[in-house]
Amino acid sequence: MTVVGLPARTRPRYGVAVVGGAAVLEEAPEESVEALAVRFRAGHEEALGEVYDRWASLVHSYALRALQDTHDAEDVTQQVFVAAWQSRDKMTPGPHTFPAWLIGIARHKISDARAARARDVRRIEAVAAVTPSDEVVGTEDVMEPDRLVVRQAVDEMGEPRRTIMLLAFWQDLTHVDIAATTGLPLGTVKSHLRRGLTQLHHTLEEVRHGSR
Amino acid sequence: MAHADVDDLAALVIEPADVPDPVRRHVGACSRCSATVEALTATRGALGADPLVAPPPDLRARVMAEALGRPTAAATETGTAETPSAPVPLASRRRGVPVWLASAAAVLALVAGLGVGRMSVGEPEAAPVEPEPTGSVLAATSLTALDSDAPRGAVEAVNDADDVVTVSVRATELGDEPGFHEVWLINVDGERMVALGILARSDNGTFEVPRRLIEEGYRIVDISVEPDDGDPTHSGVSLARGELV
Repeated sequence: MTVVGLPARTRPRYGVAVVGGAAVLEEAPEESVEALAVRFRAGHEEALGEVYDRWASLVHSYALRALQDTHDAEDVTQQVFVAAWQSRDKMTPGPHTFPAWLIGIARHKISDARAARARDVRRIEAVAAVTPSDEVVGTEDVMEPDRLVVRQAVDEMGEPRRTIMLLAFWQDLTHVDIAATTGLPLGTVKSHLRRGLTQLHHTLEEVRHGSR
Repeated sequence: MAHADVDDLAALVIEPADVPDPVRRHVGACSRCSATVEALTATRGALGADPLVAPPPDLRARVMAEALGRPTAAATETGTAETPSAPVPLASRRRGVPVWLASAAAVLALVAGLGVGRMSVGEPEAAPVEPEPTGSVLAATSLTALDSDAPRGAVEAVNDADDVVTVSVRATELGDEPGFHEVWLINVDGERMVALGILARSDNGTFEVPRRLIEEGYRIVDISVEPDDGDPTHSGVSLARGELV
């Protein structure tokens, strides 16, 4: 049995003071990403855990799709967060800092991983005299990071918008069917879809802007 | 006309038939609005990705260990996905002790106290037969101070009905530091903790805990002194500790 210290404070904290005996503790408002970025940049160790918890799936999914290998994808994911932490002073905190920045780092690490593979292939080639196939190096779908960022943004939407978006754009249900499925008026469904798409459009714009 | 409402432009991408003619005519003539429609169309094209795939749970510990420069037994070459990451030795964790720990002395006390807590011998289980009869002692520990091995009482966890465990705390000599005494269960993973409650009746208290929690590793009993500052988290000042075994 190994002994442990006190857990670090990694959970979101209550954002407001508890006032009055009758006050109801509402769900703690999520700390803004910008505030998290500020703490991350300042070297607060628990901020690294929070950043990892929120964006590890995004980075991992990107690496997995680009490399098609679970071991390599895990390695790249680890390298990305370690590199992010080590170069945190180069990051500019903003409300959309992390996805673009992490994806940017991931792009480099994926490219390094591919280069390493290519070297391995050449090494094998030298021994076995086989020609490397293009498939090994692979080509990246430039839309892929956007698609993953969008997927995460949809998953983080509040209900019923999230479900409506998934039914419309993933299940390809008609608006009438969605209204029937969710029991919501057709107008409400359409309005959620429009606002949802607009919201995603803004997210992507901001993420792209953040990556510059 | 003024620029089209972005929701109308979104509608143009989703269901053009819903969009009134004037909006369409405007978009046809306005480069800014048509650029927005183009961007919305690209966004529409980015929908449909499969759900994100989370990395294996043990990767987090590896990332934290490498980034924060702490050795970890889990940082092995091959991914051992099945085994949970081994706890980080305390000595190397000291850097990670939260800044909110009151003082350097408290940090040292933590190290010393935990060592003692680990050695403290609990009452061994009589016979590990399932299901445990109601009233049997599931686990126990003595409590010690953190800056010395001075005894600070004892804790007993007794099986109750319905998978509930009654944790009885009988603490002694917790001192006069202002504030109230709060009892916590810290998970042996060092990541999680739960508050059990306040020792209201002198330094004794009884708390009901789902048995599942103990089984999940919430076994380190910790008594803190808490200022009345409205902050519901641990003050960082621990007066006594022991690990239920």
